[in-house]
Amino acid sequence: MIIRDKFKIALIPFSALVFGIFALILIIFFANSIQIFEKEGLAIYTTSRWLASEDPSLEFYGVLPAIYGSLYTSGIAILIALPLSVAYSVFVVDYAPRRIKEWLIIATDIMTGLPTIIYGIWGAFFLVPFVKKYLMEPLYENFSFIPLFSYPPSTGHSFLSGGILLGIMVTPFAAAIIREAYRTIPYTYREAVYALGATKYEATRVLIGYIKPAILAGLVLAFGRAIGETVAVSLVIGNTFNISPSLFAPGYTISSLIANQFGNAFIYEHMVSALFAAGLSLSFIGLAVNLLVFRMLRRWEHARS
Amino acid sequence: MNSLEIINLNVYYGNRHVIKGINLKIPQKVVFAIIGPSGSGKSTLLRAINRLIELDEDAKVEGDVRLFKKSIYEMDPREVRRRIGMVFQQPNPFPHMSIYDNVALGPRLNKLVRNKEELDYLVEWALKKAALWDEVKDRLGDLASKLSGGQQQRLCIARALALKPDVLLLDEPTSALDPVSTAKIENLLLELKKSYTVVIVTHRIQQAARIGDYTAFLLDGKLVEVGDTAQIFVNPKDRRTEAYITGRFG
Amino acid sequence: MPDRRRAKEIVFQAVVAILTFSTIAPLLHIIFSVFVEGLPVLIKGGISFLTDTLAPPSDGLGGIGPAIVGTFVLIALSSLMGLPIALMTGIYSAEYPRSIIGRAAKILLQIMMEFPTILVGLFVMELLVIPMGSYSALAGAFALAVIMMPYVAISTEEALKEIPRSYREAAFSLGLSRAQVVFRVLIKMAKRGTLTGILVGMAKVAGETAPLLFTAGGSERIYFRGLNRPIGAIPLLIYQLVQQPYDNYHQIAWGASLLLMLIFLGIFIPTRLLLREVKF
Repeated sequence: MIIRDKFKIALIPFSALVFGIFALILIIFFANSIQIFEKEGLAIYTTSRWLASEDPSLEFYGVLPAIYGSLYTSGIAILIALPLSVAYSVFVVDYAPRRIKEWLIIATDIMTGLPTIIYGIWGAFFLVPFVKKYLMEPLYENFSFIPLFSYPPSTGHSFLSGGILLGIMVTPFAAAIIREAYRTIPYTYREAVYALGATKYEATRVLIGYIKPAILAGLVLAFGRAIGETVAVSLVIGNTFNISPSLFAPGYTISSLIANQFGNAFIYEHMVSALFAAGLSLSFIGLAVNLLVFRMLRRWEHARS
Repeated sequence: MNSLEIINLNVYYGNRHVIKGINLKIPQKVVFAIIGPSGSGKSTLLRAINRLIELDEDAKVEGDVRLFKKSIYEMDPREVRRRIGMVFQQPNPFPHMSIYDNVALGPRLNKLVRNKEELDYLVEWALKKAALWDEVKDRLGDLASKLSGGQQQRLCIARALALKPDVLLLDEPTSALDPVSTAKIENLLLELKKSYTVVIVTHRIQQAARIGDYTAFLLDGKLVEVGDTAQIFVNPKDRRTEAYITGRFG
Repeated sequence: MPDRRRAKEIVFQAVVAILTFSTIAPLLHIIFSVFVEGLPVLIKGGISFLTDTLAPPSDGLGGIGPAIVGTFVLIALSSLMGLPIALMTGIYSAEYPRSIIGRAAKILLQIMMEFPTILVGLFVMELLVIPMGSYSALAGAFALAVIMMPYVAISTEEALKEIPRSYREAAFSLGLSRAQVVFRVLIKMAKRGTLTGILVGMAKVAGETAPLLFTAGGSERIYFRGLNRPIGAIPLLIYQLVQQPYDNYHQIAWGASLLLMLIFLGIFIPTRLLLREVKF
């Protein structure tokens, strides 16, 4: 009764190719990381000394500052994304007249797709000086006793600039998920809330609570996008090995480290491997974020249906 | 000779047993009506007859269906479907194709015609058979989605007829149509039975009474009763058949 | 008490409106800046800005011709590599949604869509650039193809699955083979969704920088030299120029940014008109 499905057999090579490419990516990252793991062990991730040397015995690479910078800037980014994307969703769904709503959605759609290098050039030439002049300098002059503001703003390239730029870039991704969840809240819930005599503020608070899982998923997704971003951050973060609590300090992220160092890494014995190991950690963070979002959204869809 | 013979047919969807040991003989050139409440397995039965059921990865079929004595499970499923045409509940001409292309698609891809003239001729023939030609002959290039619901359904009949099938299956073909369009289709089916075996699933009991030569009553995946339409409606043997046709359940 | 409630209400609405505006204000400022800085460059540079090669440091505008050509070559080449694979993968997942490969492919595509693009560049460098001994158009295009695939595959799959079941049944009932059902009937019905995915994928790779850093290599002064030779791209050029200390290079970067934005919008706007929602 079973007829062999020629069509299926003809399609399999194409799907296999996608799997193959992905497997190859993982293999290449693991294979190239082994060298540095053998040499340094986990110290590659847990230390912050970065010593490039033509003498292989002196070489040592610790990418902790880059991991720190990635987490720090992406953390700032989602702190920015949270209020913006939630307010945006509420405004688009509840308040905006149809015309404006349409334009707001188009605007954020453009923002999700706009070449990141354009954010980068804007960040380097406008945002960095702007942040320096209007945020960093006044805060430093008045509050430098607070560790967060303790680093003297020199060029403006800093965790803060990187975080703000990333926040701007990833807010639309979070907003897309949150807006959709907020829009599809069953009508009966809305009705019930207003029937209790709630004002719009009170009602919104309740409804936002209802979509909390979707908000969380949106933020995790935004975090994933932020941590993987390369060129825009690399143009505003300062590209300096640095673990500082201060927002105003320059730093590195994993991806900007790779972007900056990989080009000349081949001169050295171990740096290529170190950068692959850094990439491996980035891909793991990315993978974890993905699975998390996937599960959260699925659970959210289950809960609703 | 019977055109279709269904022998001890069982269909399972996963663990659900949806068709339970059905035996049926369907003679040639008749309208054979299948009635029963929704969920009784009527549509599944039709899909087992033309092997469309195999599109569902969960479905499992046991037993046999024979088309002029030959098991359809020993035939290429494509040939089965060519010889057993089907019309669906919702009129579903391909909305992105013209009226002409909807009818021409089957013959063209099955290479039933050798050239454009033969194809033109076949399309005209099928549209005439489906009593649609006069209404569309001046606008064969229009999109099928521009037709009315009743016209669309007749277009679907033409689409099926263009393959010159032996049997035509119809799955509640008028349930989405208004009474005037329904009457047109019913008359058309009475015309078509002169050259085809027509098997129609319907949940409108009166439709079976109006056009069916034979009627089979399905309940819960089982064949309760089958016979002459007149006999079934006037003198049903089974209490459940009687209850159903007098509107006491379903 | 009612007064306090009303005041709260007004403050709340004002805050929501201000935050919403803050979400899109950067975009407005970016577009504004790119025009203000870039338009004079395009006007001053004229046609030769599009056709000439890069000027020396601190010596006029020259042109970004090789980067423009490179961007289009890379889009074409990556589409050539990525589209067939992506379309077939999408079709497979739509046609056999319960199969192990179909289900796994869907998860994999989702993961690939979120995979940091710089890592794709690193991967291709190791896979192609080092064995070939040179940066190349081929390597750049392959990296972009990997990035493009999930967008196209996922939208193809979704577009196919949106087609009501009854059309599939109708097509099969005409005795067509599965290949005929998919390619002669269904894929045409899913045209809009599939095309949107293709355009989104193209817009995406047109603006990518990170995966090209270690694959395409860049080429500022020489036009296309062959598939196995380095090639330029507008985003890559901007990235390199912004990091230079020369004023004229910054101007060129702004001009190139305007051009890149116009290319992006040139793909985005028609896509947006095709379909209401566009997901990157």
